[in-house]
Amino acid sequence: METTQTSAQKTEPRAPTNGSTLPNDAAALMAKRMEVMEEQLAYLVKRQRAQEELFADLTPIGKDLLNVVTERFSELEKEGAISFAQELLAVTRKVVQHYGPEDVRQFGNAVVTILDTVRALTQPEVLAIAGQASTVLQNADQAEPIGIMGMVRASRNEDVQKGMAVMMELLKHVGHAAKAMAEQRREPTGADKRKADLAKRLGPKKKKVLGVERPQVIEDARQEARDLGPPVLCADPAVKEEPEAAATMLDGVGFTADGHLANPKAWTRDLALNIAHAQGVELDDARWKVVEFARADFEEHGVSPNVRRLTLGTGLATRDLYTMFPKAPARTIAKIAGIPKPAGCI
Amino acid sequence: MATIAKPKRKIALICSHGGLDEAYPALILANAARQSGIDAFIFFTFWGLDVVTESKVDHLHVNLAGNPSSGMPTIVAGLPGMESLAARMMKKQMEELELPTVREMLQILEESGAELYACELAMNMFKRKKEDLLPQVKDVITAGDFYELSEGAQVIFT
Repeated sequence: METTQTSAQKTEPRAPTNGSTLPNDAAALMAKRMEVMEEQLAYLVKRQRAQEELFADLTPIGKDLLNVVTERFSELEKEGAISFAQELLAVTRKVVQHYGPEDVRQFGNAVVTILDTVRALTQPEVLAIAGQASTVLQNADQAEPIGIMGMVRASRNEDVQKGMAVMMELLKHVGHAAKAMAEQRREPTGADKRKADLAKRLGPKKKKVLGVERPQVIEDARQEARDLGPPVLCADPAVKEEPEAAATMLDGVGFTADGHLANPKAWTRDLALNIAHAQGVELDDARWKVVEFARADFEEHGVSPNVRRLTLGTGLATRDLYTMFPKAPARTIAKIAGIPKPAGCI
Repeated sequence: MATIAKPKRKIALICSHGGLDEAYPALILANAARQSGIDAFIFFTFWGLDVVTESKVDHLHVNLAGNPSSGMPTIVAGLPGMESLAARMMKKQMEELELPTVREMLQILEESGAELYACELAMNMFKRKKEDLLPQVKDVITAGDFYELSEGAQVIFT
């Protein structure tokens, strides 16, 4: 109350500085406010007193309660519950230390499998078999040692035969699962990588390509075939630096005895059309692309591509090549492309 | 460029062994024939059936015992596990040469127009059904059918 009075006094001398207008009104307003505050203060004091009384009443009860709680705790301590809880906490801490959030997430994903396995294992039939097996194991000390002959003799028993069949089936499944796991964890070999790379660039291999424009794919494939390096063949290809001597001359162009252009540099597109016509093949866009790939590959490595290399390089299926060039595809393509006979067996 | 018209050539291969080293010659010869524009078909009989059996095609072995070219005494070559060891080594070498696997070779053959047949008698002997064979096998035929098919063909036994 006194503090509010002093602040009220302080404000009074300020009134005239605000201006000479209505100082009496301001004082009246202040007095009204103070009245309201006085009422509120009285209410607060009343409540405080009530609380103090309540606390005084409760203290003895609280003391009793504390005693009881302490007693209970010491009892629990005697029973080992506290140390148990502490150990439990330590275990939790260890679990947290050894398993990261990733492990817990994996566990969560495997929960259904785990539950399925547990359910399957706890089927009455399975438990009956496990029970039978465990009684045998309990009497393991009484078992007579047997050798190979003993095994053969035992295998005549029908029950043993059945058991062996079950074991074999079990082994088969374990082996199957192990194989799947090995496949999953297998590091890709160089050949795998090359194949995957090619497949990525070429798209689906079985796609029908006859007459379909695939310029970018072919260009990529050509680059890929160059990146693969010189072709590995089952026979060492003899790289011919000098053009072969022409066996026959036709319209001023030299051909070898096996019907290929003697000098690959003498090749022109018109000549290719003529050779193709003579081979019974009409060159459309799709066929031209194969011929161009064959020429580019030959220029790159000095060896004419075989069917396998053509399929890998152009992204065409073997079947497509045989459809486009029905008779001896690799040889026909080499003839049209004006390059020597392909080497190798594949 | 004047080409002399030759009679259409035809090759019939009989594949009667299931070894990795015994299967490849037939497959490569047939493939080479197709690449040279020669009609080719292979008749798989006896152990050769393994080459076109789904469950066996990826596990063909190499028999070293009794093979003087293996460079290994027969008594050693006959030890257990030698066959698969030799097969593994051979497969590794083939991979280095970028040679297709037997399964891939059969696929290439089918796509290139070679025809593959299985022997009916051998199928009955080994208790195999058409479903056990690879889809590339065109049909199961008898020896008589084989003679009809191979009319005018050069027959090669491997």
